[in-house]
Amino acid sequence: MTDTQPPHLSDTYTAPPPDAWERGYAAPGSWHGRVRRRLARRWKLIAGLGIVSTFYVLAVLANFVAPYDASEQSRQQPLAPPTPIRFRDREGRWHARPFIYRLRLADPLARTYTEDTAARFPLVLYTRGHSYKLLGLFQTDRHLFGVVRDARRNFDPSQNSGADAGANATQSANAPPPQRVYLLGTDEFGRDRLSRLLMASRFSLAVGPLGTLLAGILGVFLGCVSGYAGRRVDALLMRAADAMLALPDLVLILAARAAFPLVLPPARAGALLVGIFIAIGWAEMARLARGLVLGLREREFVLAAVSLGLTETRILFRHILPNASRPLVVQLSLMLPAFLLAETALSFLGVGVQEPAASWGNMLVAAGNLTLLGQQPLVLLSPAFAIFLFVLGVRLLSDGLRRDGDTRAG
Amino acid sequence: MLKLILSRALQGVVVLLVVSALTFALLAAAGGDALGELASEGGASEATLKEMRRVYGLDEPLAARYAHWLSNLARGRMGESFYYHAPVATIIWPRLLRTLALAAAALFLALSFSLALGALAARRRGSLWDRASELIILLTASTPRIVLALITLAIVARTSWFPVGGAAGTETLADISPLRILPPAIVLALPLVALFLAQAREGLSHALALDFVQVARAKGLPERAVIMRHALRDALNPLITLFGYASGSVVSGSVIVETVLGWSGLGALSVNAVRYRDVPLLMGVVMITATAVLAGNLLADILLRLNDPRLRPRRAPARTRRASGRSLDLPASGA
Repeated sequence: MTDTQPPHLSDTYTAPPPDAWERGYAAPGSWHGRVRRRLARRWKLIAGLGIVSTFYVLAVLANFVAPYDASEQSRQQPLAPPTPIRFRDREGRWHARPFIYRLRLADPLARTYTEDTAARFPLVLYTRGHSYKLLGLFQTDRHLFGVVRDARRNFDPSQNSGADAGANATQSANAPPPQRVYLLGTDEFGRDRLSRLLMASRFSLAVGPLGTLLAGILGVFLGCVSGYAGRRVDALLMRAADAMLALPDLVLILAARAAFPLVLPPARAGALLVGIFIAIGWAEMARLARGLVLGLREREFVLAAVSLGLTETRILFRHILPNASRPLVVQLSLMLPAFLLAETALSFLGVGVQEPAASWGNMLVAAGNLTLLGQQPLVLLSPAFAIFLFVLGVRLLSDGLRRDGDTRAG
Repeated sequence: MLKLILSRALQGVVVLLVVSALTFALLAAAGGDALGELASEGGASEATLKEMRRVYGLDEPLAARYAHWLSNLARGRMGESFYYHAPVATIIWPRLLRTLALAAAALFLALSFSLALGALAARRRGSLWDRASELIILLTASTPRIVLALITLAIVARTSWFPVGGAAGTETLADISPLRILPPAIVLALPLVALFLAQAREGLSHALALDFVQVARAKGLPERAVIMRHALRDALNPLITLFGYASGSVVSGSVIVETVLGWSGLGALSVNAVRYRDVPLLMGVVMITATAVLAGNLLADILLRLNDPRLRPRRAPARTRRASGRSLDLPASGA
């Protein structure tokens, strides 16, 4: 518990345990020592929060961080490997600013690329690119990083300096567009994979968590009602929850998904998935909330509230529910990975979000191709690593929350 | 024991009825069926469609169709698949066996690994084994099966250690070779390791501090025998309960694992049923899956009573409280 408790929690005040000072309640010694002990106790919480919030910041700023439009194709460069970032040019000179060379498709069948070392394309931060609306509000064309528009010719001793200037002039007249930098390579349509990954995080990080949150709210509401109203309502709701819990999540979700048209625009597919998650996820939450309410409603503070003549609704939602909030939040964070993964799985199986919209799941479809996977395993699996990292963050967060809230287990 | 099985079977039938009615209503309410897909492709005239609807009984009201489906099910007929043009039962049966083989292999791997490592970790808190198992729990708990499956596929693709793919038509049990089943079984098993290992470590270290274990040590038994014969028996209870929970997790996980690693079982079949909107097949898969999960839970209950005499109803009922009241902390597993 933190030092500043919200006032409604104070009616569950419990005296600090005898070994409280060991665990940083009122630690003796210096302020630094106290902080250090607290951090050591909560590193999981902090690391988890850090990872999860980084993901969300990246998702919100995806347009800015992504160097290119996620749907823009460059047909000449399909399935390109990650662009090599260089500091040393053909002549062996070092450059402070990293640069890339133009990639040429050497063999269209084997999809091998060679670097054209004639011209350098330096990388720059905060450059201009395609225009978009930042945070959906400001029209801008700034991007975190990119390639300069005009190439720098390499110094070629066989030609005089006049020819060099002429070459630059002709290049600006009918030059091919500058080489683009692909940190994660391109997909089969020549779309920048990093940009797609960033834009996909928007979808994947919205649908699963939103579904979890709404399912949690519905579940808590039904569970509270069920636990407090009792009798017939309780029996009815809990039998329905039993039926929901009898089937494994993914099979239920698949069955529900089968009832709707398979091909849907991204927004409707997302809404449908959220709806399915709500319809399925409430049961688990309702079970937990009901159990907590059943335990809490016999406590003295409820009796006190009743004797004050408060309404049942007020007692339930202002007195009982806040006391049950910690385990409910922990349960919510445990449910989150399950639905995030369900969304990914459905998109992977082709019944969630479909091309050309990007989601972590449908980006992974490319990794199902054995020959490709043998050639560029790390790049193709990058959405998988994103999923892993996010789930790890959520797991650390829920671990930290649970340990933080559980005053019995150190 | 018989009473337990009978009452659970009865409950199971009720749950199955509810599940089937819900699924049936959902699939019917949304409209559209395999024939609708056929019509949208322009492959059939209006008259043909009407005739096919009549043949498949799709023109009757919903309740009649459900009653019809139920009465057929009671006689062991699950209808005919729209897509495969074969009775649903003959499609499901071989795949069910393959999925069960996969699930058994995965559960065996997960349990044996978790018990071995858990025993090593529980012997001394804070030892190298203990910390290693803590790391393994964190990693396996946060690695989704879809990620694991694709990484495994990448390994399989780059090396020639394991036979790859397997033709889509091979649905016999004969081609289940140990090498073929190992990659999907490992992928299916790893997220379970997180559950089992955490519980085994917790349970064993708790059990090792109990009085009867001290007695066993005082008798002069070697530590190995103390753990294997005395402490393990006590720590096994929550693991068996988890086993019931794991049966659902395995079925969910097998959908992904089978699709990615080319194991033609029930999971891969359910994806196809959704893709082709094959309602009879989907109903069959849902029913079989629900039955399997319920059977897994029942099996866990039976095993629990076999393992722990305190739970058998013949004994004083007040004492059953202790073990069944032990709360299990289930992390939601990655699908």
